[in-house]
Amino acid sequence: MDYTKRVSQHTATAYSKIGLKAGLEIHQQLDTGKLFCACPGYLRSEEPHFSVIRRLHAVAGETGEVDAAVAHEAVLGRTFLYQGYNDTTCLVELDEEPPHFVNEAALDEALKIALLLNCEVYPVTQVMRKTVIDGSNTSGFQRTVLLAHDGFIETSFGKVKVDTVCLEEDAARIVSRDEKAAVYRLDRLGIPLVEIATAAVLDTPDKIKETALKLGEILRACKVKRGIGTIRQDVNISIKGHDRVEVKGFQDPAMMIETVRKEVLRQETELKQGKKEGAVRNALPSGDTEFLRPMPGKARMYPETDLPLLTIGRERLNMLKKILPKLRTEIRDELKKKGLSEEMIRLVLDGHLDEFETLIKIYSKDADLVAKMVVLWRQEFASKLKKSFEEIEGVLNERVLEQVLEALVKGEIGEGDIKGVLWKVTNGAKIEDALKIEKIDDHVIEEKIIAIVRDKPGLRAGAYMGMVIAKMPGVDKRKAMEILNRLVK
Amino acid sequence: MAELGFNAGDEVRFRLAQEEVDGIVLENPDSSVVLIKLKSGYNVGIPRDNILASRVLKKYERVVKEEKKSEVKRKKGLPVLGLVVTGGTIAAKLDAKRGGTSWLTDPGELMRFYPELFEMVDVKTIDVPFMTSSEAMTSEHWIKIAESVKKMVDDPEIKGVIVTHGTDFLHYTAAALSFFLQDLTKPVVLTYSQRSIDRASSDANLNLVCAARAALSDVAEVMLVGHANLNDEYCHAMRGSKVRKMHSSRRDAFQPINCEPIAKVWPDKIEFISEYRKSPGGKTVLDTSFTDKVALVKFYPGQDPSILDLYALKFKGVVIEVGGLGHLPPSEAKHNWVPALKKHIRQGLVICAAAQTIYGRLDPFVYSNGREIVDAGVIFLDDMLPETAMVKLGWVLGHFGWKGKVKEKMKENVSGELNERIAV
Repeated sequence: MDYTKRVSQHTATAYSKIGLKAGLEIHQQLDTGKLFCACPGYLRSEEPHFSVIRRLHAVAGETGEVDAAVAHEAVLGRTFLYQGYNDTTCLVELDEEPPHFVNEAALDEALKIALLLNCEVYPVTQVMRKTVIDGSNTSGFQRTVLLAHDGFIETSFGKVKVDTVCLEEDAARIVSRDEKAAVYRLDRLGIPLVEIATAAVLDTPDKIKETALKLGEILRACKVKRGIGTIRQDVNISIKGHDRVEVKGFQDPAMMIETVRKEVLRQETELKQGKKEGAVRNALPSGDTEFLRPMPGKARMYPETDLPLLTIGRERLNMLKKILPKLRTEIRDELKKKGLSEEMIRLVLDGHLDEFETLIKIYSKDADLVAKMVVLWRQEFASKLKKSFEEIEGVLNERVLEQVLEALVKGEIGEGDIKGVLWKVTNGAKIEDALKIEKIDDHVIEEKIIAIVRDKPGLRAGAYMGMVIAKMPGVDKRKAMEILNRLVK
Repeated sequence: MAELGFNAGDEVRFRLAQEEVDGIVLENPDSSVVLIKLKSGYNVGIPRDNILASRVLKKYERVVKEEKKSEVKRKKGLPVLGLVVTGGTIAAKLDAKRGGTSWLTDPGELMRFYPELFEMVDVKTIDVPFMTSSEAMTSEHWIKIAESVKKMVDDPEIKGVIVTHGTDFLHYTAAALSFFLQDLTKPVVLTYSQRSIDRASSDANLNLVCAARAALSDVAEVMLVGHANLNDEYCHAMRGSKVRKMHSSRRDAFQPINCEPIAKVWPDKIEFISEYRKSPGGKTVLDTSFTDKVALVKFYPGQDPSILDLYALKFKGVVIEVGGLGHLPPSEAKHNWVPALKKHIRQGLVICAAAQTIYGRLDPFVYSNGREIVDAGVIFLDDMLPETAMVKLGWVLGHFGWKGKVKEKMKENVSGELNERIAV
């Protein structure tokens, strides 16, 4: 039978007949500092400041056996180069200092997610080391801690069980790789990741997709990073008789249905050939999957001896329950009342709500201005300078925006100066210097504008504006417009 | 709270208010929390008070291994070394069942953890005089190590000796061996690890292999070999009496002080940077006469000189870490140290001065404040490390025959602890 025909013929009943069982595993970066050190957690594009050469060695597991996945990754004799930045990489990422106590902000955020997923939080838990020797972790392991279990989310087809919520550190970012050496960048190593695993109860591709979207919405209500690479979605898929296959690397939930369909077909074909072995496979943009490595075993996990047990008290959970983020629909209405356009609301909700709400408290007169500061202008500067949004955000951080708004409230600068100030800071100016704006006295502005109007009478206000800017390039445009509106009726 | 009838290693089902949890019980020093390993491999804790009931699903079966020490298979044709194992991170392995660490002393296990070393050299003798962390050591431990090393260097087949050791006070042992092993005929190399050996990234492998390379050289000195920088590329071989732990966690924690390293050491080659001592032949002399009635005192502003009264009660000698070029509060200071120094020296306490700055040489003649201290009878130890000075003072005062020659002996360059020329 024709391949596409076979694919389209899989209906819900057909899936239940072949016993499709799927679960989701979602890894979402949190928008906080790194998990086990005091470094900020954003990716950088400029030349690294230093690099360190390392080799990894084979280590026998705690019981002596070598895990199948680890054996597959065996990298003996290979050299690893780790790139870092003096101001955003420290000894912890280089495996030259023991991990600091878990980042409280990240822990709070992960716990909020667990609570939103209706999970039971473990009162005491232990940070574990998961052996990874592809070089993506300088230590040779990834730190992970199980926080909560047995939750659920509501969907159109009923409750979907959430098995576990873990908090993990992200791995270093691969820059290049060949047979002898691999180059990694340490900017990503240690960024907190929340890992959510649902039970393997999803029995159609549509349910998988809906569940993924629902989880995504809950995550976005919390302080999570946005953009490509900040969320990684894996789907565990098996049909009756076949071992579990982990399909990794979905960026787009839209591809999920197609990919699951094709994976089911692949497993059917394998069963016909007498094969049933599970594996980790990579999702390709075409909807196909390719073999990545064998399934990992649990021999890869042992305790992080450098850290004490993690205790999560009742009081902490009760406090977090009080500040659980609101649902998006509620927030949408509130922002609308503040006068934001639909587009602006979308942008603010896209991971910037916290900042927006902090800043609007400083300057509540113009929600649109605050929204522009938080999202639009940073985006604009990022594309102008060909840098990542996160990088610009690192420079134009909340504290900088606060200072600028404080200056505005004090009358030291005008609303029209703000974008210029931010641009200067983005280009390396100290905030104090950027705020020193040569203020043209209001009277002088008015005098000059009167002169312009007198010179060429009878035009509309907008037409004069161009001339005003040409004469006084640094002029506060709002102020100028105000004056023009008064003069030209 | 009911007595719970399970032990570490048992697989147990716990009944809690809302649910049941199965797991393997792990040892946990905090008895208010039961630590368990879940099927997923994750460990979590259950507060004992939350446990309503428990049932052992499977008792832990201790696999009793035969208590026969495995032997190292010697590889003929390879250069022959001796190995002294004394404890520290480099010989500590994680014990998953107990949740702690245990010592790595079994030769066969050493081979399994450090295959590269055993492929490179023929380790003829492995001696384990004791296993302890370096902070738990005393001068008696230094003496035991020296005795083990002496036996090995006397073996004509053995070309050199490696000593593995905890890092925190490794430089004290290095200094002690530098004085205890006189007329040394072969390389004696101390090494360590800063990162535990369960991790693939441990620094132990490079340190050990480079230590072996240094132990095969013609340097007849006590050396410390460890990472030269943060790269897993090469190590420095540093003189035992002139090396100090200068960082709490970096793999290049040990740095030569007031001198250059003796050599850069790669797994397959050695490149000498400094002059070093070669064996004049003859036999190594073990000279472990030592008194631990010596102390190291760090001066700080405002310190009351009467602190010396306390030291004088119990000790024969003290090394004071003095400020700058060699300063303590002079006669014009409110808490003038000069009379106390004079009094105790007159009464027989040996007082030496070493640089609190660690780097640089003392010179008490630049300021009158320093001259007053010299005149009081304090022995100035130039660029000698304070820790080395303390060990050397114990060694010198341990020799009753050297009474009356203490100053002369302290100022004599016995094992490279003094360097007349500090390079830029």
